[in-house]
Amino acid sequence: MGRVFLEHTGGSCLYSCGNCDTVLTNKNELVSSRFNGATGRAFLFKSAVNLVVNEVQERVMLTGRHFVRDVFCKKCSVKLGWMYEFACEETQRYKEGNVILEKALISESIGF
Amino acid sequence: MAMNISENSKNGFKMHEHTETNGKLNGNHGSKNLPSEECHNSNGTTKANHLNNVAKNFSQGQKDILRLIGQHLRSLGLNKTTESLMNESGCMLEHPTASNFRNLIMNGKWQEAEAALESLKSFIDDSSDFTKMKFLILEQKYLECLEDSQIMEALKCLRDELAPLKFNTERLHELSSFLMCTDQNNLKILSNWAGKNDISRKILMDKLQTFLPPNIMLPPHRLETLLNQAVEYQCEQCPYHNYKDKFHIDDWSFLRDHICSKDDFPSICIQVYNDHCDEVWYCKFSNNGKLLATGSKDGCLIIWDVDPDTYKLTINKTYDEHTHGASVVVWSPDDQYLIVCGTEDCSEIWIWDIENKVLKKRINNNHDDSIITAAWMPDGQAFVCGGTKGHFYYCDIDGTIKETWEGVRVRCLQTLPDGQALCADTLKRIRSYNFKELTDSNLIQEDFQIVSFTLNKAGTQLLVSAAAQGIHLWDVKDKMLIRRFQGSVQNTYMNYATFGGADEIYIASGSEDNKVYVWNIKKEHPIAVLEGHTRNVTCVTWNPELPGMIVSASDDGTIRVWGPKNKFSLDSNGFQSEPECMNGFSSTRTDRSTPV
Repeated sequence: MGRVFLEHTGGSCLYSCGNCDTVLTNKNELVSSRFNGATGRAFLFKSAVNLVVNEVQERVMLTGRHFVRDVFCKKCSVKLGWMYEFACEETQRYKEGNVILEKALISESIGF
Repeated sequence: MAMNISENSKNGFKMHEHTETNGKLNGNHGSKNLPSEECHNSNGTTKANHLNNVAKNFSQGQKDILRLIGQHLRSLGLNKTTESLMNESGCMLEHPTASNFRNLIMNGKWQEAEAALESLKSFIDDSSDFTKMKFLILEQKYLECLEDSQIMEALKCLRDELAPLKFNTERLHELSSFLMCTDQNNLKILSNWAGKNDISRKILMDKLQTFLPPNIMLPPHRLETLLNQAVEYQCEQCPYHNYKDKFHIDDWSFLRDHICSKDDFPSICIQVYNDHCDEVWYCKFSNNGKLLATGSKDGCLIIWDVDPDTYKLTINKTYDEHTHGASVVVWSPDDQYLIVCGTEDCSEIWIWDIENKVLKKRINNNHDDSIITAAWMPDGQAFVCGGTKGHFYYCDIDGTIKETWEGVRVRCLQTLPDGQALCADTLKRIRSYNFKELTDSNLIQEDFQIVSFTLNKAGTQLLVSAAAQGIHLWDVKDKMLIRRFQGSVQNTYMNYATFGGADEIYIASGSEDNKVYVWNIKKEHPIAVLEGHTRNVTCVTWNPELPGMIVSASDDGTIRVWGPKNKFSLDSNGFQSEPECMNGFSSTRTDRSTPV
C-alpha cells in the first residue's frame, strides 16, 4: 500500500473515516446535514481532503438529475459518499464541487 | 599595431569622406550612383595596398586569430615560427614599445621599464591603472632588493618611489614589514613571493598585461583562456556530464564537440535486493558514501556496506526494533549516529550509534505525539525533530529537549549550514527557525501541500515534493521557484527526492508509475527514466562520493542499485547474480532505461 501522504484540515470538530479514522473535513466546511444517502442521513461539505474519486456517473436523485463521482478514503479505500460534478437543475447548482459524506460511514470527533 | 590602427582609422575616415561626396553627387546626378560606388571601392583598395601589402587582406578577426596563434606559439618556445608568422602575415604580435617593456621587466631593468611604461601611458585609459602598474613594478624591485640584501636600496625604493605613489597604503605597510625578515626563505614565505627569478617576473608581467589594451599587448594566455571557455561551455551543454574533476585543455580533444554518452550516466539496474520483507520506505547514503541505510514497513533498518568498485551492497547490520516501521532515517554529519523516525502514529525516535552498532537512545516524550521527521544540526551535537501533532523540538545528542516550538504542524525538517532549521508545515510553507535567537521567518510559500523537501549540500537550493504536482526547485536566498520538473507522478504516497551527481547538478525522484526520473537541474524534461520497480518508488538517494551510483526504495519490497552501463555491461557477473525479485515479478528483462 505504501506510505500514504495525508492532509489535515484542522478545526475543532473533525469528521473522519469511520473505518480507519483518517481526517476528512471539519465543521466549518459543513453546508447542510439534511441530506440522504444510501445508508440514511448524510452531510454536505464544501470541501474534504484525503479522498479519491472514481469516474463520473449520471444519477437521478430526489432533487433531479446530477453528474456525480463516488468518493473513497485515500487510506483504506472504503466508499464514504459522493461529490457533485454537475447539477442539471439551476436550483441545485450550489452543490457543484461539494462532497456528500454518509453519516453512518464517518465518525465525529473533537479536534486537537 | 597601434600605428596600423591609427592608419586604418585614417583610411576609414577618408573612405567616409568619399562616400559623403558620393552622397552629394547622388543628390545632383542620381544616375551616377553605381559607377561612383565602384570608384569608391577601387579607390579604397588601392589606398589600402599602398599602406600595407599583405595585412590588408586579413579582416580584423583574422588578424586577431593570427596574433592569438603567435602568442601561443611563443609561449611554447617556438620563437622562430612566431617571427616568420608575423613577418608573412604582416601582423604585429604586440606594439614594439610593449615588447620592449616586456623585455625590460623580464631582465629586471626597473629604471628603463618605468620609462617605457611612461611611453605606454597614452594607451592606458585609466590613470589609476597606471599607478597600479607602477606600484607592481616597484614592488617587485623592492622585493628583489631585499632578497639581494640591498637594504639601503630597498629602503630608498620604499621611501622615495613607492610611498609617493600614495597607493594602497595597507600593502605599503605590509611591504615595509618585510624589511625585518632575516633570511630569504622567510621573506618568500611571508610575502608569498617566488623570489628573484623568471617565474616571479612572469607573474608580474601577467599582472601588468591585464592593464594594457589588447591591441597594444595581448592579455596573458589568451588562446588558452578562450579554449578553457570552450571546454566549460561544452561541459555545460553536455546533458550527461557527471565528473567531479574539471577538465583541463591538455587532456581534451578540440577536434569535435564534447558529449558524454548516456551509457556513462547511471542508466541501468545493477543490483536488486529483497532483504526487506515488506515495502521499503526510505533509503539514504551516509555522508561519506560508504554506507547505505534503508528503512522498511517490516520494522527493519538495514545498514549496508557499499563497494565503490562493483556498487554491490552487503548487509553490515540489521536493526529490527522499529515496530511502527522505519519511515525516515537521518545520518549525523560525521556518520556516527543515525536517527530513525516511525510513521504518523509513532511517538518514538531511535538514535543508533552506527560506529559501535548499539542503541544510543530511544526517545519517547509524549505518547500522544507523532514524530515523523528529524534533522541534525551542522555540528552534529544537536538535532531538531517534529510532526503534524504540532510540536517541534530542539534536542541535544542525548535526546534531552532544549527548546520546544509549539503550534507548528511539521511535515519535514532540514538544517542549513548556518544552523537554522527549515521546516515545511501543513500550511504549504517552508519557514526558517533560529534556535539561538528564537526567531522565525517565512522562506517559501508553495501553492500545494509539501510532502517532503531536501536541501543541497551548500544550502542554496531546495527541492520540494509538492502534493499531486511533482518536484519543484526553489532558490533559498532569493526565495524563488526556479523550475518545475516534468514526468514524475505523485498523488497518493510519500515521496523523497534527491540532489546528486557531480556538483549536485542532477535531481532524481521516485514516482507512482514505478519509475525513477532523473533530471538535469537546468531542464524540466527528464534525461533518464529508470524502469524496473513494480510498484510505487518512494525514495531515491544518490551516492555523494560516487556520482554514478543511485539507489531507489520501492513498495515492491526491493532496493535497486542503478549505475552507468559502460562501467557494468562487461561485468556480466554482477548483473546476472541479481537476486530474484519478491512478489514473483521477473525483473531482468525490464531493467532498461528509456532514453528520453
